[in-house]
Amino acid sequence: MADIEIEIDGNSINAKAGEMLITVTDREGISVPRFCYHKKLSIAANCRMCLVDVEGAPKPQPACSTPIADGMKIHTQNEKAKASQKAVMEFLLINHPLDCPICDQGGECELQDVAMDYGSDVSRFTEGKRIVADSDIGALIQTDMTRCIHCTRCVRFGAEVAGIMEMGGTGRGEDMKIEPFLTEGIQSELSGNMIDVCPVGALTSKPFRYELRSWQMNAVSNVARHDLVGSNIITQTYKGKVKRIVAKDNESINETWISDRDRFSYEGLSHENRLLSPQIKVEGTWKEVEWNVALDFAIRGLANNVINTHQSDKLGALASNTATLEEFHLLQKILREIGSENIDHRLNVKNLDHAISLESNIKLLGLEGIDHALVIGSNLRLEQPMISHRLRKANLSGASIDVINAMAFDFNYRLNSENIISPNQTAATLAGVLKSVLGNAHIEVPDYLVDIEVSDIAMQLADKLSQSNNSVIVLGEHIVNNPQASSIANLVSEIAQHTDSTTLNVSATANSMAANMAGFVPGKDGLDVNAMLAADLKAYILLDVYPQYDFHHSVQAVEALSSDDTFVISLNSFKDDAVAQYSDVLLPIASFYETSGSHVNVEGEVQSFAAAVNAPSDTKPAWKVLKVLADLLELPGFHYADSAQVTSEIMHQSHKQHAHNESIDVKVKRGINVIWQKSPYAVDVLSRHATSLQATNIGQINSASMNKATAKKLEVALGDEYLGVPVAINEAVANNCVFVNANHSTGVQS
Amino acid sequence: MNEVCFKNLDQKDPWSLKTYEASGGYSVWRKILKGELTPEQIIDELKTSGLRGRGGAGFPTGLKWSFMPRNANMQKYVVCNSDEGEPGTCKDRDILRFNPHSVIEGMAIGGFVMNATKGYNYIRGEFMEPFYRFEDALKEAYDAGLLGDNIDGSSVSFDLYTHLGAGAYICGEETALLESLEGKKGQPRFKPPFPANIGLFGMPTTINNTESFASVPDILAKGGQWFADIGVANSGGCKLFSVTGHVNKPANFEVPMGLPFKDLLEMAGGIREGRTLKAVIPGGSSTPVLTAEAAMAMTMDYDGIDKAGSMLGAGSVIIMDDSTCMVETLTRLAHFYYDESCGQCTPCREGTGWLYRVLKRIMDGNGKADDIDLLMGVQDKIMGNTICALGDAAAMPVESFLRCFREEFEYYIEHGKSMVKG
Repeated sequence: MADIEIEIDGNSINAKAGEMLITVTDREGISVPRFCYHKKLSIAANCRMCLVDVEGAPKPQPACSTPIADGMKIHTQNEKAKASQKAVMEFLLINHPLDCPICDQGGECELQDVAMDYGSDVSRFTEGKRIVADSDIGALIQTDMTRCIHCTRCVRFGAEVAGIMEMGGTGRGEDMKIEPFLTEGIQSELSGNMIDVCPVGALTSKPFRYELRSWQMNAVSNVARHDLVGSNIITQTYKGKVKRIVAKDNESINETWISDRDRFSYEGLSHENRLLSPQIKVEGTWKEVEWNVALDFAIRGLANNVINTHQSDKLGALASNTATLEEFHLLQKILREIGSENIDHRLNVKNLDHAISLESNIKLLGLEGIDHALVIGSNLRLEQPMISHRLRKANLSGASIDVINAMAFDFNYRLNSENIISPNQTAATLAGVLKSVLGNAHIEVPDYLVDIEVSDIAMQLADKLSQSNNSVIVLGEHIVNNPQASSIANLVSEIAQHTDSTTLNVSATANSMAANMAGFVPGKDGLDVNAMLAADLKAYILLDVYPQYDFHHSVQAVEALSSDDTFVISLNSFKDDAVAQYSDVLLPIASFYETSGSHVNVEGEVQSFAAAVNAPSDTKPAWKVLKVLADLLELPGFHYADSAQVTSEIMHQSHKQHAHNESIDVKVKRGINVIWQKSPYAVDVLSRHATSLQATNIGQINSASMNKATAKKLEVALGDEYLGVPVAINEAVANNCVFVNANHSTGVQS
Repeated sequence: MNEVCFKNLDQKDPWSLKTYEASGGYSVWRKILKGELTPEQIIDELKTSGLRGRGGAGFPTGLKWSFMPRNANMQKYVVCNSDEGEPGTCKDRDILRFNPHSVIEGMAIGGFVMNATKGYNYIRGEFMEPFYRFEDALKEAYDAGLLGDNIDGSSVSFDLYTHLGAGAYICGEETALLESLEGKKGQPRFKPPFPANIGLFGMPTTINNTESFASVPDILAKGGQWFADIGVANSGGCKLFSVTGHVNKPANFEVPMGLPFKDLLEMAGGIREGRTLKAVIPGGSSTPVLTAEAAMAMTMDYDGIDKAGSMLGAGSVIIMDDSTCMVETLTRLAHFYYDESCGQCTPCREGTGWLYRVLKRIMDGNGKADDIDLLMGVQDKIMGNTICALGDAAAMPVESFLRCFREEFEYYIEHGKSMVKG
């Protein structure tokens, strides 16, 4: 677009022809009031608040929908512009309840702010005001629709960003109402953003209702750790408690949006299940003690069971994926200083000989520029909402998306093809894709592909990848426990290489990238998690582990950890019966937002954050606990004044790699495959304790889905449980596959 | 009188293909099919004719058609706006009833000129008889091989579909009509972009009024100059006026532009016995009201009505005699716009209700001394600030009624009763 010159309020300004006027005024810092305009949503031009005077135009023009042209002279403040803006303001206020004193939006309300400049202090409207009935739209969003000014931001957000049009304008004229079409409540995993976009108090946070005024709270920039994105957030706190979380703009990470999981999980912080004081187990009974007593007890245990007996290889460390980069680093450093390489965070992986090893080499922002994607084994929308959102944007601007899954999921964009394939055939299908890709490129096929028959599906998937200029292959969580997981990852790597595709590995979530970066994996001669549990270790340090959720082999794990001669130090943020059963000492640690640290996202971006609040009660940030443990053990190199020094140390060390299984097995397997997954709002301990999130439709997901044929083979039916989870008969699941989404702990997973 | 759209009115079955063809109908279309007319020739002829949009805005039709990117490689549409909802108008209804083939031929010609192979006629929801009449005509045209793909072996294709609205006045606004046609809630779109660039289903689209399309075949058959000469400068041709209200013979009249109002009034049989003319709304309820004096001095053409202080609009002439209470009339009009506002943009959604409520309060005897200033203020704040013209349409009657008949409003507020009716 050509550079042109326009004049705004007497100042000449350079801009691009065809840009909307409001884009220019925003860039230049010229204040133009608005309600319906939102930089990330389509233009509606319905509020009319941004009317300005354009010389030569008979009527005032809305800045949001007026494309600029060379020589245009615009007045945003003259009498004509002001008159229009004040007129609109008056109309907006006549039916607005003006109940600011009891409105949660008060103090952060766009209508309130703009009314200060453009409103009148006395209303000329003496007729009765409009009252609008509210609808209950679920556990997260409170509606007070009498306050609605019909800007339709929420409607457009649903239709354009969330991808499900859940809110709409019904009725006409004065009777126009913004309301959900369905009575089931809002379903979107991004619904909370409607609260952020609502300029008035019509949509507010339900968990935050009547809590506080925005000006009473401190705002601390933070990073959400529930997924691989690390969405930027603002934690709003009051008297040492996180009271609300809102999105923080970061165009390259999360744009303006955050998932509901990132927004509402904070509720878990004040759950009664928090572990708040150090405890030691004396003759089978738990006793609350001072920190120094607990720490002494802990190092004595380590000394007795491992160090003094020269069995440092009998010590193991396990951590959940939600720990910070610094915590991963300090724990692995303690282990390695003591002399153990038994370190692992991949607790949910059934067979680590077949662990997935695949680099991600595309940026989140880059996902928007792709022209094709192949998604393998993921329900992206609920697992990685913001990554799914980027793919949706690419899709809307023309990218095609193919999917290989074991079950049909509800994608909020149009798929080019959705291939529902039994996990037993995933590797063989991808082998066919690779063979076809090599054929397209006239490259000789390696021996292991010679006998592979290329199906029509494989050929179509291959052609799409070969023909695309900028494609990405996304490898998801459902592949983790596929019997051929490493082969699938290796095939993906090969296919990507021969089609110039990028890869995105979303098979491990939360802060797993930080664990890898910190080298929180078994070193040479070290044991992986499954090997540790089988090896009768004498002592463990466990970092925020909840066995019945985190381990694939949860029964064996609890059994092994409970062994009489195994000394277990548990650092936990929440109480847990199984943890209490096997631990010898419980050290209460800070949870999300209560500690400083870093998150590493899928593109390798290290984002550090400060603690938003102090760790409650007797809890301590885990990095401090680990540092003190190391000091008490008289280990060298733990002289840190703050967590940033730890971060800096990590940045300067070389990163350890996973052992990589390079073999490729492409045979079709037999038997029934179980894809076991925590349901989307049960992925980590904080989300599991966030009551409002749990009350949503997504929070309620708890089912073992299988088709009729599989159910018959397994001799289960609707009403039964499979692996402790209610059976759902669903023909959208591939044959010989059970897709489990569990939102509660289980003792029977094998 | 009755030279174009109504020229077959005195024939037997004026709506039939036979009658239409007997009077030269489809001759232009057949010339096009034979390749004897180019789009440029047609546009030139329309420009010469001075035909201006008959739906109300009065935009020159030839110019409008020339805006379409006819060579753009995408589907283009022509749409006929038969959602005739303006209070006071009933002319399109009679064109559809008595001369549907002129609309079909006009639309087909438009399709050819703008390289649009598909057309839609959006007919007002309440118009059942015109809808069936038009559908029958459409079938006749298809059966006669006048529409379809590669018509009569030519390279010209044109398919025409009828769509029945669902009763919303706002769908007569062309972009709301497009939304409705797409199956969405009828709400106007903001402009730009204009329909000629992004119209129906996002494709270039031209929307014309029924009467405009119906006038096209005769203009091309007889020449633009012939049409222009019927009317006066800046208002070519003849125009249908729907004369309603307190006249003895309310009817549609197709008369030359520039006809003195008093002659039109006479054609409608004059004012009822024993009454005198009080006020005239010359172009439909959305146009400003005129006093009898201003109306009697006016000629019925764009400039003539403009000079008198109102607008030609859709040619819907509402006659009011001295028995009319202007407060009551304005309240009724205000209720109409309040009821028909789509609710999309703020000034109209909130303002129309406000206007109506204040007027209703005055009617209920609860008027306040400053209500007239309030009404003037509110209408002024709606005027020009809305997405579409419905806001202006709601504001203009208020302004003109209060300006021309202020004393009646003052009386009503002071005495709590009508100055006219007591």
